[in-house]
Amino acid sequence: MEFAIISALNGVTYGLLLFMVSAGLTLIFGMMGVLNFAHASFYMLGAYVAYAVSSIFGFWTGVIVAPIVTGLIGMAVERFLLPKVHKHGHAHELLLTFGLALIIEELVKLFFGDFPVNYQMPASLRFSAFHIFGADYPFYRLFIGGVAVVMFTALWLLLTRTRTGIVVRAAERLPAMAEALGHNIPMVFMFVFGTGAALAGLAGAVAGAFYPTNPNMGLELGVIVFVVVVVGGLGSLKGSLLASLLIGLFSSFAVGLDWSLAKLLGLVGLGEWARSIGGLMTLELSSVSATIPFALMLIVLLVRPAGLMGERN
Amino acid sequence: MTNMRNLILGAVFLVLLIAVPPLLDLAWQNALVNILIASLFALAFNLLIGQAGLLSFGHAAYFGIGAFAALHLMIAVENGLPFPTPLLPLAGAAAGLTVGLIAGYFATMRSGVYFALVTLAIAELFHSLAPRLEGMFGGEAGIASMRMPWASFTFGSMLSVYYLVLAWVVICGLGLWAYTRTPFGRLTLALRDNEQRVRFLGYNAHASKVIVFAISAMVTGIAGSLLAISNETANYSLFASAVSSQVVLQTFVGGATVFLGPVLGAAAFALFSFLVSDLTRSWVLYQGLIFVLVMLYAPSGIGGVVEHHIRNRKNLDWSRLAGPYLLALAGGLLIAAGVVFLTESASILFGEEYAMARQGANGGLPAYELFGLIWKPLSFVTWTVPAALLAGGGVVLMRARREIGAIWDSKGHGARPAAKSASMGGAA
Repeated sequence: MEFAIISALNGVTYGLLLFMVSAGLTLIFGMMGVLNFAHASFYMLGAYVAYAVSSIFGFWTGVIVAPIVTGLIGMAVERFLLPKVHKHGHAHELLLTFGLALIIEELVKLFFGDFPVNYQMPASLRFSAFHIFGADYPFYRLFIGGVAVVMFTALWLLLTRTRTGIVVRAAERLPAMAEALGHNIPMVFMFVFGTGAALAGLAGAVAGAFYPTNPNMGLELGVIVFVVVVVGGLGSLKGSLLASLLIGLFSSFAVGLDWSLAKLLGLVGLGEWARSIGGLMTLELSSVSATIPFALMLIVLLVRPAGLMGERN
Repeated sequence: MTNMRNLILGAVFLVLLIAVPPLLDLAWQNALVNILIASLFALAFNLLIGQAGLLSFGHAAYFGIGAFAALHLMIAVENGLPFPTPLLPLAGAAAGLTVGLIAGYFATMRSGVYFALVTLAIAELFHSLAPRLEGMFGGEAGIASMRMPWASFTFGSMLSVYYLVLAWVVICGLGLWAYTRTPFGRLTLALRDNEQRVRFLGYNAHASKVIVFAISAMVTGIAGSLLAISNETANYSLFASAVSSQVVLQTFVGGATVFLGPVLGAAAFALFSFLVSDLTRSWVLYQGLIFVLVMLYAPSGIGGVVEHHIRNRKNLDWSRLAGPYLLALAGGLLIAAGVVFLTESASILFGEEYAMARQGANGGLPAYELFGLIWKPLSFVTWTVPAALLAGGGVVLMRARREIGAIWDSKGHGARPAAKSASMGGAA
């Protein structure tokens, strides 16, 4: 019971963090058809900007400045770089963002070193939210989840309840028609790209203070975020929310379970045989928790290639 | 006529590859082996993106699988299995083909960006699983073996390994080239250009893509096993995303649309990394910059630019072009010098050694050494030099670009290559 509740809480907060990053990615893809490989780099950049700023001006300034900086960089990328390769097709846009991701990672290594930096949450947030089963549950985890929920509500209200939201959704569905009706679609695209990058930057600034901040964090999270969008269906916000929570929960439960194929076969009396084989058979679930998302992705691909919420392509 | 000339050119090149290495020292022989392996890897990768239009971000998986398969066979040979050493890459081929069939089955279920994501995730699957599987991948330390003598060959020297690698790379390269000439090779191109139509013509598009994917994985596996034979060891870092991204960079900088383009890119990058990796820690950053510049200004890569010039060689007034091209090269070199100066300065100023030096200087900013000169971080001169290099290079490049554009336009070939060749200077 204790394990289940703690794992569920951890899984949901991690899932919400994944959603913060994947939402921007899926929004940008749905709208422009650009798969932004540099998206997770904005997440890392957000953490590093927040680290650099917060070491001088304090934590909260860092958390506010980071999304602004990453958002502006995102807009610059959309405005000045992507149009140059647009005529060569989506593959080249993907490759360009891939190159940018590489450059951002190397620049971070250049300025901050190829090792984790000491980016910490402020003492005012370092307390336990509640006491459960003889252990303190850190408030900051709930804070990360809370930021994600607030962000989402705001984004959702913006998209569904405001005039701007209608224009954005129109630009997503039929860009040419929306432009013919007199809306400045390139501007809309730029702001959506900037918002997506800013959201990733915010996620990095908030999560970097809790999880390790190092030059690999972008890639590590990026791969999982890609899995999220494949599982959820690219372009679908609801799908990525579902997939984020699913992967968050799966990963956090897997860490604490010592299940293995040998144990499973033991139920039908084949345990000894499986143990004698070793290798894959005796691998415990906890030691392969990093593998779970990929396995989930392969299963989804087999059963429902378009993703949980994606439209068939 | 052209075919004859290409044949002679190829033969001359091959003779050079055979005749020159004995005259080189060990480090260069080793570098050549790595260049050859990188070339084959890039060629195999380009079968997917260049021919079938499938962009894989996870080719490290098949490269690593090939390496591990060859090593396991080498261990078996060590333990007495009578298997000729020169045929070891067959193990890599078999493993690459098998894994490629399975992975390709999943990956080619989706196309476009999804395909890229799935391949990336499959490679990460191997990367996360490999350190846990002691028996197969030897945990984090990896596995090692020795090349066993076969017939009268001992395979003790780097040179004999070089010839073994050369033979395999040439055979596989010719095989891949022959593949493009077969009906199935044509079908592969059709898959890239119009998959819908291929399906309407009655072909099974998914099965065809799985086969193309598996062939690419097989040749990648051969490249991986050649690396294993050369290094006699492998660990799970072969599955790292850096390996996958390296081949993407090399292929596109070299040019995915030309058959030998990837070889050009792989050779250039592998050679540069051999030459400069001791001098700078920012080599990957420069690679990224070169890649982005090529993507922006010469999307068909070095190979594409070269091919365009060869195709138009008769219509071009080379005497008029030479001047502006040299100017563009000079501008590119100036800009490159400015960028390198800034990067290396940042690398020093934000490095750990400098932090120690600052402590020694009570928090002040001591001078640092770069390119054999002493620079003061707060001095005006230090930052005027790179600024002048960048600005000067920019002005020269823009001028060269205008002139080159005008000459190409007057030939009636569109404004296309001006930007490309100008940026080629910047990239070099």
